[in-house]
Amino acid sequence: MNPREHFVVIGNGPAGNQAAMSLGEKAPEARITLISKNHGACYRPHLLPEYIGGKIPEQSLYVCPVGTYKERGIKLRSGQTVVRLNPKEKELILDHKELVRFSGLVIAVGGKPRIPEPMLVFKDLMFTLKTLEDAKIWIEKLSHVDSVMMIGGDLTSLAVTKALLSLDKKVIFMLNEDAFWPLRCDGALFDEVTERLEERGVEVLAHQRIRSIARIAHHTYEIEVDSRKIQVGMIGGFFGLVPDIRFLAGCGLRIDRGILVDEYMNTGFEGIFATGDCAQVYHPELRDYWVSIGHDNAVNLGRLTAMNLAGGRIPAHVAKEKIFDVQGIKVNTSWWTEF
Amino acid sequence: MSKQVLYSTAPEDFYYMDINVPCQAACPAATNIPAYIRCLFEERYGRSYEINQVANIFPGVLGRICSRPCEDKCRHGEPELGRPVNICHIKRAASDLGEKAPPSQKGPFPSLGKKVAVVGAGPAGLAAAHDLSSVGFSVTIYEALDDPGGMLRYGIPEFRLPRPILDAEIQHILDMGAVLKTGMRIGKDLTMEDLLGDCDAVLLAAGCYRSIPLNIPGEELQGVYLGLEFMMDVCQGRPSVLGDKVLVIGAGFTAFDCARSALRLGAGDVTICLRRTEEDLTVTKDEVLEAKKEGVKIESLMLSSRIVGDKKLESVTFVRTQPGERREDGKREITPIEGSEFIVPADTVIAAVGQRPEPIYFTGERAGEGLQVTDKEAFRASVTGLYVAGDYMTGPSTVIEAIGMGRRAAERIAEDLTGRVFREKVVRQEEAQTTDRERTWDFLQRQEMPTIEPVEDRFNSPDLEVETGFSFEQAKEESKRCYLCYLHYEIDISRCIYCRYCIDVAPRDCIKLVDEVKTNELGAIAGFVETTRWEDVNAIVIDNSRCIRCGECMRVCPVDCISVTKIEVMEQVLEEGKTNES
Repeated sequence: MNPREHFVVIGNGPAGNQAAMSLGEKAPEARITLISKNHGACYRPHLLPEYIGGKIPEQSLYVCPVGTYKERGIKLRSGQTVVRLNPKEKELILDHKELVRFSGLVIAVGGKPRIPEPMLVFKDLMFTLKTLEDAKIWIEKLSHVDSVMMIGGDLTSLAVTKALLSLDKKVIFMLNEDAFWPLRCDGALFDEVTERLEERGVEVLAHQRIRSIARIAHHTYEIEVDSRKIQVGMIGGFFGLVPDIRFLAGCGLRIDRGILVDEYMNTGFEGIFATGDCAQVYHPELRDYWVSIGHDNAVNLGRLTAMNLAGGRIPAHVAKEKIFDVQGIKVNTSWWTEF
Repeated sequence: MSKQVLYSTAPEDFYYMDINVPCQAACPAATNIPAYIRCLFEERYGRSYEINQVANIFPGVLGRICSRPCEDKCRHGEPELGRPVNICHIKRAASDLGEKAPPSQKGPFPSLGKKVAVVGAGPAGLAAAHDLSSVGFSVTIYEALDDPGGMLRYGIPEFRLPRPILDAEIQHILDMGAVLKTGMRIGKDLTMEDLLGDCDAVLLAAGCYRSIPLNIPGEELQGVYLGLEFMMDVCQGRPSVLGDKVLVIGAGFTAFDCARSALRLGAGDVTICLRRTEEDLTVTKDEVLEAKKEGVKIESLMLSSRIVGDKKLESVTFVRTQPGERREDGKREITPIEGSEFIVPADTVIAAVGQRPEPIYFTGERAGEGLQVTDKEAFRASVTGLYVAGDYMTGPSTVIEAIGMGRRAAERIAEDLTGRVFREKVVRQEEAQTTDRERTWDFLQRQEMPTIEPVEDRFNSPDLEVETGFSFEQAKEESKRCYLCYLHYEIDISRCIYCRYCIDVAPRDCIKLVDEVKTNELGAIAGFVETTRWEDVNAIVIDNSRCIRCGECMRVCPVDCISVTKIEVMEQVLEEGKTNES
């Protein structure tokens, strides 16, 4: 008798969650394990700014109740972190040293906040927003402060800015060409973004460099830019996301900016796939590799990958015109169309 | 009661060291890393420097620019144990924070009446000259360029390696008695035959000074430079004129030095173009980080196929590549993707894809004959009395590899000329105590090297050293992180009562109940057959290749049956020399 298939999904973001759910439908006989370092059920990270702004309750963030996994035969192992992958032996090692064997694997670990190297020195002084825990920290901090400096400028930052304005916070936005992600913000776009921010009452600091940041009191930060010193209660760092795949270094998978996969999201190892924000795919029309960001893309890729793991052969095709060139990286973003 | 000290040259003891002290085993110069880190912790900076100098000769230099193979093998970097100890920068701290060394003295041993010529005053040649002159050989170093140091001086920019540091450590070597003659090029100012006729041995350590071109159309266009030539011009204060948009093609230290130097020369947009991926880079992570902080962009999976322009460079055509299976050397096969051509505009291209040695030809009876290395292990060339070492023999290597090669070549020359060895590695074993390391130190974060911030200030002067060095406090804090793997923990099973308290407290699976201890052909322990059946347990052992020397096992042992021995590979210098039979 063949042993029962054991499919493991790493990551319970939109891509991983959808992959696990789709596997549950496509391979009902298989054992499915969903390993997530976050606690609880999958939530919609793109709604976190609205949660911070008090527009929606926490419950509205969740894709499904925790009980859904059990109902669908998915074993959810939350709060557990994969620290190593041995693709040849089809084994994972968790941080508490447990070894997990699998017959099929979907890596959907998503991204982590990107901090550009020149800003790393200020990393501990900036607040990022990727997880629900991050959002709760923002809510707690905002209850003590009146002003926020936004540095960087990815599309999440614009949503957070809206939320902050709705909370009557003073917002100062540092805007320059290189820091705006996932698009290069120059020319007409720069002027348009500046105008729209200023219309809403945001003070825009254009083309300024940060010389220093110091925390001078519990809820006061002093930022020295080219022209002056500014004091604010909180600093947000928004520079987009990068794949969170450090734990895969040296494991044998081909890794560049993300995990290199073919158009079927396969890593080159039989039964091992990567999907969502952490995957990197070659696009013949673009003559370049692309990565994907955004909730809708993640869900679609998660579904497609599950079908391929369950025996399908569906290519991930993205129309050339939906991919943007971002600091040398080709990005397929569903956020941009929502902006 | 005095402590018992044993010295061993048994192969099984060296095997033990290779397995259990991975940092020292990984160092091509076999630097006693745990010992110098411990000295630094004890604030004996001078002694820490000396331990380094005995093995690698250039502590101040290597503390800045070493490729750090030791850190790749550091036990602290194993999965679940955190990040490697910042060994390299502790080495620099020993140099920066110690008292200035007393004036060097001439080599301590009387003359052996043997003359050796060393061709090339780079790391390999200088290391060989140091070892030979210090035991009584009469050594003359012939250097083609104006100053000694080789790639250290002419390939590495000053913002990574200040020249006063280099000059001081070279002077220490010359103080051993070697004579340096600069501006002497073999084949022009003197011939190989002259040297072979005049000396008992010649060591050729002339480095790799010829850049490998890209071998693609358009390389002759104005605005295209070769990496090494570009860096040599920078290092000699006569830099090339660059355009605003610079592409550096290559992935090694030279490529990164070119890119960072280009920024200091005023280039506005500098990109390093990799054929492979960033994960495949062999330069240190610190180097990548600092380059990115300064504004260097890194783009991957692209292979240059044509340089385009009308007299002057305008753009480069690349094709996309894809990584394939790993080869035996650990690198992946890289294949171009058909139909993936794309164009990148550029004002300047710097091709830094490798170097090779300049060929040396014989004259006289062997006129036109090129040099051939006949025995790489013995560093011997095709002509009696001629030896080869360093990059000249292997192609581009790292500084620490070149030093290691230079030293081994010197050993070989000394033995061939006298029938004696003057340096001997021994395993020194000394009864020891468990350390005062606290378990909490295992969780200390790695101390990172401070650098000039904000980044713009680095460009105030092109030679300003970017890394500013550990403070006393940082050096001490980082030294706490070393597990001190030269300590060997052992259970005396004749006294053990198998209570297994030690297993309960061990933070790692390093204490094992075993059925059998496997030995290899050297008689060294090569593995354990563990058992979970109590009736099969024949011994309880500490696997020192897993142990993190926390000492918890000793603290809980009720019968005091666990002992500690300090085991070190050391170098003895023998004044009279020693024949292999003696």
